[in-house]
Amino acid sequence: MTPDELAELAAGYAVGGLDGEERARFEALLRAGDPAARAALREYEAVLVAVADGSRETPPAGARARLLERIEREGRGAQLVDLQAERRRRGPWRAVVGGLLAAGLAAVVVGLALSSTYERRLDDLQRETATLRDELARQQAVLAIVRDPSTQSVALAGLAPSPGARGRMLWHERAGGLFVAEGLPPAPEGKAYQLWAIAGSAPPVSAGVFLVTTDGKGSVRVPPLPGVARVDVFAVTLEPAGGLPAPSGAMYLAGKS
Amino acid sequence: MSTSPPRSGSVPAELVARIARGDRAAFEQFYNALSPLAFGLIRRILRERESAEEVLQEVFWQVWKDAGTFDPSRGNPEAWLITRARTRAIDKLRSMRRKENMFPTTLNEALAEGERAPEEPAAIAAEERRVVEGALRELPVAQRQVIELAFFGGLTQAEIAVRTETPLGTVKTRTRLGLERLRGLFKARGLDLP
Repeated sequence: MTPDELAELAAGYAVGGLDGEERARFEALLRAGDPAARAALREYEAVLVAVADGSRETPPAGARARLLERIEREGRGAQLVDLQAERRRRGPWRAVVGGLLAAGLAAVVVGLALSSTYERRLDDLQRETATLRDELARQQAVLAIVRDPSTQSVALAGLAPSPGARGRMLWHERAGGLFVAEGLPPAPEGKAYQLWAIAGSAPPVSAGVFLVTTDGKGSVRVPPLPGVARVDVFAVTLEPAGGLPAPSGAMYLAGKS
Repeated sequence: MSTSPPRSGSVPAELVARIARGDRAAFEQFYNALSPLAFGLIRRILRERESAEEVLQEVFWQVWKDAGTFDPSRGNPEAWLITRARTRAIDKLRSMRRKENMFPTTLNEALAEGERAPEEPAAIAAEERRVVEGALRELPVAQRQVIELAFFGGLTQAEIAVRTETPLGTVKTRTRLGLERLRGLFKARGLDLP
């Protein structure tokens, strides 16, 4: 990554504008303690703190009181309360049994067991959050394409190998697109469907490879294609799994924009 | 009328460490110093006072519970706080939009939101606000737009690219240049940035 790319990534992260994949990339740099990433982020964050400072506003007095009340009531939350309760329960039991060392060990074991349970749960929750966040980012990207008035919608009709098939491409020059198809026969072993974007008389550009479910449905999220702006024709051919740089197999679907 | 502004960088990291150890006095000190910063930002994103207060409570509750996760080597307490405040406020904004069955606002609405002044200017440190607003105004519109749409409007850079019909790479470059330019403008106006 060049210093410019890193600075752009840090700036995007600071304003909260990165999508799932880029955010994960930058967070990995931060976690690894990358000094340039940390320094760049700190610099941009300071600017944004100053921007936020410009809107400084005293919250209502009641907010502080309610917050302190909650802290009084709930302490530090369920985790700490449970552990304290556990300790309290252990008190009398320890007196009855008398074995101080044994009880101490038992408390440590219980404590360790509890803390590792909580850590595992926390890890699970964090993973789940990350997955949901990424999914949300993907959905939002798709939604942004669907909502944009300059998005092209292209219907693809079934050709000779599968006349009943049809497809639709939502295409945006800068955001990429979303392709869905139905009625296609499942691709034979070792084969896959490949989507092509054709602009004018230029050679077809691969827009991705996809498979269909047993009920003939398939979809593919197409990233923006470098060097491809307005597309005239979208087509689907059957190719070796993994796809080829240029179409070679039978054409199953095609549509003009 | 207005709060005297403790400047950015004025809250010591040690205060957060004390909160992590369960020190309530430290927490109150932290709240007193930084709640106007967080509340102003949340209000700017949400505008609606009641929701803003709800989010503020949640943010500081999290500060109390998660103070131990603050890592001073990764930034100062202000940056840590406003990242949390912004994330929560944007989450709330999105959930409000979902509930109202609204799509995220159009470009013009989002821009208008970013530019709208909070309803109670009396409660804002006027001098500071003047400096910041002045610097923001001096920023080329295209740079200010990409920063405000992301930071206050909760849009990703990819969404901004689509809405402003600008290549994604340009959005990224403008964000970076805008922040760097602002830094220079703030410094020239005597704001003390770390």
